[in-house]
Amino acid sequence: MKEILVLAEHRLGKLKDVTFEVLTKGRKLAQENNARLTAVVIGYDIDPLGEELAYYADEVLIYDDYKVKEFHSEYFRQVLSHIILDRKPEVILIPHTSYGLELAPSLAIELNIPIITDVLEISFENGRFVVIREYFGGKLKAKVTLRESPRYIATVRVGVSKSEKNESKGQVTKMQNLDLMDIPYKRVIGLIKPPPEAVDISSAGIIVAVGRGIGDAKNLPLIEELSKVIGGVIACSRPVVDMKWLPKERLVGLSGKVVKPKLYLAIGISGQFYHVYGMMNSELIIAINKDPNAPIFGVADYGIVEDLFKVVPQLISKIYGKMYGEENK
Amino acid sequence: MDIIVCVKSVPITTGAELIPDKTRKDVILDNIPFDINEWDEYALEEAIRLKERFGGNVTVISVSSRDIDEAILKCLAKGADRAIKIVDKLVAEYDAYTIAKILYTVIKSMKYDLILCGAQAGDDGYALVGVMLASLLRIPYVTFVKRLELINGSLRTVRELEEGFEEIVEVELPALLTVQTGINEPRYASIMAIRKARQKEIITLDLKSINFAESNFDGWIEIQEFFTPERRKKCIMLQGDLNEITTKVVEILRQKGILR
Amino acid sequence: MRKTVHGGHRNDVTGLFDKEELKILKSLNFNFCLQCGKCTASCPVFLRTELNPRTLVRKTLYFVSQLKICPPLSISEISSVWACTTCSNCVIYCPRDVKPMDIILAFRTILIERGNVPSTISEALENIYKFGNPFGISSLKRAEWAQDLSVKKASEESEVDLLYFVGCLTSYDNRAQNIARSMVIILKNIGVNFSILAEDENCCGNEVYSLGERGLFEVVAEKNVKRSRQYKISKIITTCSHCFNTLKNRYKLENIEVQHSTQFLSDLIDKAEINFSKRIAKKIAFHDPCYLGKHNNIFEEPRKILENIPGVTLLELERSRKNSLCCGGGGGRTWYEVTGEISRPSEDRIKEAIDMGAEILAVACPFCLLELEDAVKRMGYENKLQVLDIVEVICRSLGGL
Repeated sequence: MKEILVLAEHRLGKLKDVTFEVLTKGRKLAQENNARLTAVVIGYDIDPLGEELAYYADEVLIYDDYKVKEFHSEYFRQVLSHIILDRKPEVILIPHTSYGLELAPSLAIELNIPIITDVLEISFENGRFVVIREYFGGKLKAKVTLRESPRYIATVRVGVSKSEKNESKGQVTKMQNLDLMDIPYKRVIGLIKPPPEAVDISSAGIIVAVGRGIGDAKNLPLIEELSKVIGGVIACSRPVVDMKWLPKERLVGLSGKVVKPKLYLAIGISGQFYHVYGMMNSELIIAINKDPNAPIFGVADYGIVEDLFKVVPQLISKIYGKMYGEENK
Repeated sequence: MDIIVCVKSVPITTGAELIPDKTRKDVILDNIPFDINEWDEYALEEAIRLKERFGGNVTVISVSSRDIDEAILKCLAKGADRAIKIVDKLVAEYDAYTIAKILYTVIKSMKYDLILCGAQAGDDGYALVGVMLASLLRIPYVTFVKRLELINGSLRTVRELEEGFEEIVEVELPALLTVQTGINEPRYASIMAIRKARQKEIITLDLKSINFAESNFDGWIEIQEFFTPERRKKCIMLQGDLNEITTKVVEILRQKGILR
Repeated sequence: MRKTVHGGHRNDVTGLFDKEELKILKSLNFNFCLQCGKCTASCPVFLRTELNPRTLVRKTLYFVSQLKICPPLSISEISSVWACTTCSNCVIYCPRDVKPMDIILAFRTILIERGNVPSTISEALENIYKFGNPFGISSLKRAEWAQDLSVKKASEESEVDLLYFVGCLTSYDNRAQNIARSMVIILKNIGVNFSILAEDENCCGNEVYSLGERGLFEVVAEKNVKRSRQYKISKIITTCSHCFNTLKNRYKLENIEVQHSTQFLSDLIDKAEINFSKRIAKKIAFHDPCYLGKHNNIFEEPRKILENIPGVTLLELERSRKNSLCCGGGGGRTWYEVTGEISRPSEDRIKEAIDMGAEILAVACPFCLLELEDAVKRMGYENKLQVLDIVEVICRSLGGL
């Protein structure tokens, strides 16, 4: 067991949190298996990023090149491919993100390295590479192994680890330019930043969130009423945005916002990871869902297994009554 | 524009309790209906819309062990022109890599401008097959596509990143795209349309007929055992009738200082 | 030229129907329309939505006769047909036997076959196909309402003299489940031998038919007919007017008598087999469900039941019997809200009942129950008016529930 390689992810000049999480996970794996932990950061004008990463790894490899000033799967793959063939690491960890999934599977095919995605835990057991990951939207988990191979690739789920800085600083190495092959058939044109919003749900103290269970945009007034009476802000999970019942700025989750309100009411939300990621650190989570097996109950503090259309109106009157001292509207 | 759509049939598990079987290497799926993977539905709809705009035809390809006539017929009913089914009893044991290799074996000799796949499958969430297939075919690819336009013979796509960010990526055809949910609104397929779809061309193949070599069966991923996840923190389930439950909620909110 | 069909693009102007669609339209009997407008005037959703039966008939007439002066019929205009509750007022009031409702259903079928369906309706139909109910809940949970009641299942009997067909809404909706429980208590109280299909019960398909999904209707109907043969069922009763309508009129059930619960219970009252022990000293108005009254001419039986309950003062609503005001829940409307709809017909009905001094509004259908109760809650009248199914009222008078 010699080396564990971690690909750093960054955007607009900043390293993403997931990078540090994966490095922390990598550190644990490295310690358990007497290996070195090496971070790889690819981009343009990224020395400061390399310095920052040095507190999380034994060594940081910086590949600085104008050709990779933006993330581009084909260029990044050329760089990583070179590093892997040169240093022959046993494990390559990549964040399970949009960038990561654009890159990792093709890297695996090109170098013939077994790959597993969206892992929660990684370890070596009796020489076998073992991971834990979810299936069926989180309803089940499984212990999964990869076919024996000199090397393995795993994409690591965002948010499953804390990030821990090392006390000492690792070595920073700048790689030589690799004269990357041009890729005319795939061009990254640019980044689109999210538009400024009318509502910033991430600053709200109370969030009332709806999911697919709301059934239709027509049912939103009920939730709006609850939100009003409780003094909260409305947010939602992915299906609600896909169906265009609420605008994107209300989306909580991996592709939306991360929130940490005092109260998060999850109504008709199944609780799949890409949503849970965005709200799991809320102070108090109360979930209402008809499905007793909904994964949301794995993250909530209090759960109500009931039809939301029965609970919410009653809840509204109770809260109204509590606040205004009347029994009914 | 000739488009290939890769489609997977998955169990619809909302509301169901899933239990591992005796071996723990599999899950009991009796009484659970199957349907086209949600991401693939969006991919299919996008393909049909492109066909309606630019002409050409749409071929649906699926690998399965189950009687997937339903899913394939639904695709044909929605507007796909023909379907290719690769059937093998042991498909459930094949991992994403093997499936990608099977698809590659069939597609490599076909003519196409574009291949559309769902970004991931609802049952395993690997998000592997699409990109693996593109890599094997050596064609450019873009993942998590939310919008696409044909501009001067190239495909301009908008792909989804985290935190509301998006990225514009252009590729030359032929290319493969994996499509994110919400890219469009899939149309309905009526039962009569599904019945009529039987008249469309459906080619059924097995692994022998496509010359899928024995050596190709080596997959990468092996599930050791399924288990029910432990609840991360103890969730207190509120019991009682509606009145009792809502009273308790108000009490909890009051205690936590959220309600006066 | 095949017209474009985009699930999400509903504003294409389509000048052409294809041959099959024209065939459907031409088979309808609207040549006699004299544009009197009675259909529109009696429509419960006219003015609340875009639906205008008279204009729809006129424009279709022009289309089908292919006059060059056709006013263009757009997809969005045709899409107004989703607002119809299938109450059949337009059919009842037409002086010329034109049946505008059939034209509406024909357009629904055309839109369904084109795949151009509102997403909530699409989901409800897909759920019915996959799970046997529009809610997408596992069929294994269909009889959970009967958990503590020890009810016999048809699958465990050698033959079934009387089957209680529960229906999707009554089986799965928390509020409507009380109808089923009440019915079971009544039947046990009287000592009637009956069974339910439980997990073997499938959606009756009434809403499926109303939504124009003819193929799916055949599929669901076949499932239930198969069960009726398999379990040797002789008679079916149901508390749902929609299920009653479809089982009685649209299924090919050989030698099986189908009755609505009000007919069945009214018969038992005639034979003095029901003993009402508790007084219910309330003013009760009966709301005629469209599928019981308008579609099947059953008006007296529910009234007879209520009159026989001691203490009940039976009120007759102004718009009653054939003239009953539709609650707005039929025709698939439970799964479809029209954007910008000012108010639902149910609210007018509640106002009518309250103005009349009714304390209880009795219904004989779970759709009416849920729509009218929703309206009561929306209007804040929970303390003024209670909405109950007739079997719930009976149950209270028997001393149960």
